[in-house]
Amino acid sequence: MSEKNEILEVRDLRRSFGGVQALRGCSFGVRRGTITALIGPNGAGKTTLVDAVAGARRPQSGRVVFDGHDITGLPCHKVALSGLIRTFQISREYPAMTVLENLMVSPQRQSGERLSTVLLRPSRFRAEERQHLVRAVEVLAEFGLYEKRNDYARDLSGGQKRLLELARAVMADPRLLVLDEPMAGINPALVDRLAEHIVRLRDERGTTFLMVEHNLDVVERLCDEVVVMAVGQTLATGTMAELRANAEVVAAYLTGGVPADVRAQG
Amino acid sequence: MTLFWLTLGFGVVTGAVLSLAAVGLSLQFGVTNFVNFAYGAYLAFGMFFTYTGQVGLHLPLWLAVIFGVLATGVTSVVVDALILEPFVRRGTSGFFLLIITFGLSLVLLNLIQAIWGVGFDQFQISASNPVRLGPFSFTPAQLAIVGIAAATLVAVHLLLTRTTLGKSMRAMSDNAPLARATGIDTTRVTRWTWFLSGCLAGLGGVTLAFNTVEFQAFTGNTFLFVIFAAVILGGIGQIYGAMLGAVIIGLVVNFAGLVISSAYDLDAAFAVLVLVLLLRPQGIIPTLGKA
Amino acid sequence: MGVVLGYVATLGVYFCVYNIFAFGLNIQFGYAGILDFTVITFMAMGGYMAGVAALGPSQPGSGIYYILGLSLPWPVALLVGAAAAGALGYLVGLIALRRLRSDYLAIVTLAAGSIVLGIVSNSNSLFDGSEGLVGVPQPMNGVLKLTPNAYTVFFLGLCAVIMVICWLVANRIYRSPLGRTMRAIREDLDVAEAYGKRTFRIRMTAMVIGCVIVGIGGVLTIWFVTALAPAGWGTSETFVVWAALIVGGRGNNLGAVVGSFLVAVLFNEATRFIPAISSLPNLIPEVRNMSIGALVILTLWFRPQGVVAERKARFFEVPLRTGSLEPVPMVPAPATGSGAAQ
Repeated sequence: MSEKNEILEVRDLRRSFGGVQALRGCSFGVRRGTITALIGPNGAGKTTLVDAVAGARRPQSGRVVFDGHDITGLPCHKVALSGLIRTFQISREYPAMTVLENLMVSPQRQSGERLSTVLLRPSRFRAEERQHLVRAVEVLAEFGLYEKRNDYARDLSGGQKRLLELARAVMADPRLLVLDEPMAGINPALVDRLAEHIVRLRDERGTTFLMVEHNLDVVERLCDEVVVMAVGQTLATGTMAELRANAEVVAAYLTGGVPADVRAQG
Repeated sequence: MTLFWLTLGFGVVTGAVLSLAAVGLSLQFGVTNFVNFAYGAYLAFGMFFTYTGQVGLHLPLWLAVIFGVLATGVTSVVVDALILEPFVRRGTSGFFLLIITFGLSLVLLNLIQAIWGVGFDQFQISASNPVRLGPFSFTPAQLAIVGIAAATLVAVHLLLTRTTLGKSMRAMSDNAPLARATGIDTTRVTRWTWFLSGCLAGLGGVTLAFNTVEFQAFTGNTFLFVIFAAVILGGIGQIYGAMLGAVIIGLVVNFAGLVISSAYDLDAAFAVLVLVLLLRPQGIIPTLGKA
Repeated sequence: MGVVLGYVATLGVYFCVYNIFAFGLNIQFGYAGILDFTVITFMAMGGYMAGVAALGPSQPGSGIYYILGLSLPWPVALLVGAAAAGALGYLVGLIALRRLRSDYLAIVTLAAGSIVLGIVSNSNSLFDGSEGLVGVPQPMNGVLKLTPNAYTVFFLGLCAVIMVICWLVANRIYRSPLGRTMRAIREDLDVAEAYGKRTFRIRMTAMVIGCVIVGIGGVLTIWFVTALAPAGWGTSETFVVWAALIVGGRGNNLGAVVGSFLVAVLFNEATRFIPAISSLPNLIPEVRNMSIGALVILTLWFRPQGVVAERKARFFEVPLRTGSLEPVPMVPAPATGSGAAQ
């Protein structure tokens, strides 16, 4: 039973916007404890797929099953509470909050988010807050952001914002982390550091990753499995080596062509 | 039954006034992507510039209206160039631009009061008998309102579809960065948009004053959220949606006045606004990629 | 002597009341990023409801009509007013907070404000229409038997106590995880949502608690003036509160205090005592309103963070690799003054 091993299962997801079919049948699975890449040419619908999985956009049909629970069409915050955290294509830190605060927001179901607790029983959340604080400082140290903890997040460099994005996601204790182009627009040295962090998180915490990525070298080095998308459909799944042998995938990726055309040629 | 037809007719007149104002607001929103909360003051500028044209400069009414409308357009450009544009160029978020236009409404409305006084004024229109058109009955002023609105909206339609300027406006409304990348002079187009928005607000104000007979500085401002209701109903930033929304709101307001009480006719517009926001927040014609 | 004291105490009362308004708006706008363009409506709701709770039943022959008339003691009336303002805030929030767009929210608050103003002015049986409520009993005035000036000083003390309580509540929320999440929502609602935050509920909390605090300020207002009519709460009054918060520094309760002092007391109230020019009786209020609008625009241009910038949250230093200390969550550090508008 390979299905039991899958933390995320996407079945025939469809979504269109005003006549444009952004998703026209996406199906794939993400195995527990893997780093799975989602690749495809621009306009393949990768971000729409991430949005649909994470609840930011409701799919018109199809199923998303996360860890045995059907999360299709659930609102974002419920998906997040079930243990699936996504990041965004561009860094979206909380700009006018400090780096440490950015992390302190992440822990889920904080008792100090309830007004009655805040006003009437502050001692209740203070102990919890202390634990989060200790944890946040550890995570910041892991990501090499400890020195920056009291800086405003907007003052970080582009690369540091990427690290913050990942550190902030870790604080939410996700079982599946969906990263939308985490390596976009950062220098090669930092790409390596970010890749190390991702592998470390998988090995140490057992976090599963699904990442949209353009850089095929990174995908080859980092990912256990690769899902290829083109024009709103999943084309193939396999290791990078397997996919390189697949003419259809190569053609679709290089030309961005419609799969039907590829099939006609093949 | 007569009352029904009369109300329907008045609804169309209100819709005509609203559609002028709503198209001006929606056009500017589409291009600049922030709501102008000072718009009520622009309606008042239209009324008072026209008033000055007629009473102060002794112009015939039609010329006074043209003077008032153009003067409001110029005011709108000046306000944009001096106050709003610098903030936009600095990258101030839409969030703060809303507060700035809100502050601007206070400044402009009080400026109008300081210049033209707090009392009620009215245009000098020779009284004449209502005109009967089938089951409808209109005053000549009301017929003029509908005529002006129809002609203006056709002109706006032609401007947007036939001229380079209009096409540039639509391009900016769809995707401003792309429009800039394709070589459209966005500053120039933005200023023309403010001019046009100001003219439409001015005309909306004058026709509103024709319809209410008496007017003062805040007459347009109390009407502001009714204009918002029409714009949101039509889909914010959608010019044709705004026209349609305006007519619907105009009818709703007049029929609510008939069925409930004229004291609560504006509440009906609010009810429509609430229903739209709850049921179909993207409006009748949704704005793709902006919601 | 008594007159001067009474005058200073009057300004002190205004200072306290505007502080309270600014704290309420700060929770909505400064913390949670809610554009409430009708703050003063919630003040009016608080004031009216406290008024009709404290007044005796409306006399049929007097020509003054209002609902309730419960003759309740003043502390209960205060609670009634605060709760009514919160309830109205909840209703407005139900519509306004549903949408993500901040301009829709602002439109709905503005529209709701003019609707409430219209209903209150037109309905004679609610709060006596455009005449408004008069003769609202002042707390303990009958018991203390003080001269008017001495009573003003007493009332200033009462306001100060309530103001300090509101300040403490606002600060506690700011420093709590709730306040932090509110600010995260202000910074980026989508991201907060993607981290499992119930953004609607948390923004609603900010909306309602803000309205309750503003409503308390409204109760103090009607007690002090003993009357409230629709002419006294319009858009320009709302904007004074906004100006206080923007000039003082949003997201920061000390900024709210500084702004209330600068705008509401020095600028707004003090200029009321400039003698009017007889030929142009409205010129001074008009110039004042224009100046307040201009002040906000100039502040956003020259010092967008306000006089006192939002403070950087500082946590007790947790040394690496240990977890045995006793950190106190978030001790504010001195303002850095580097916060610019985002």
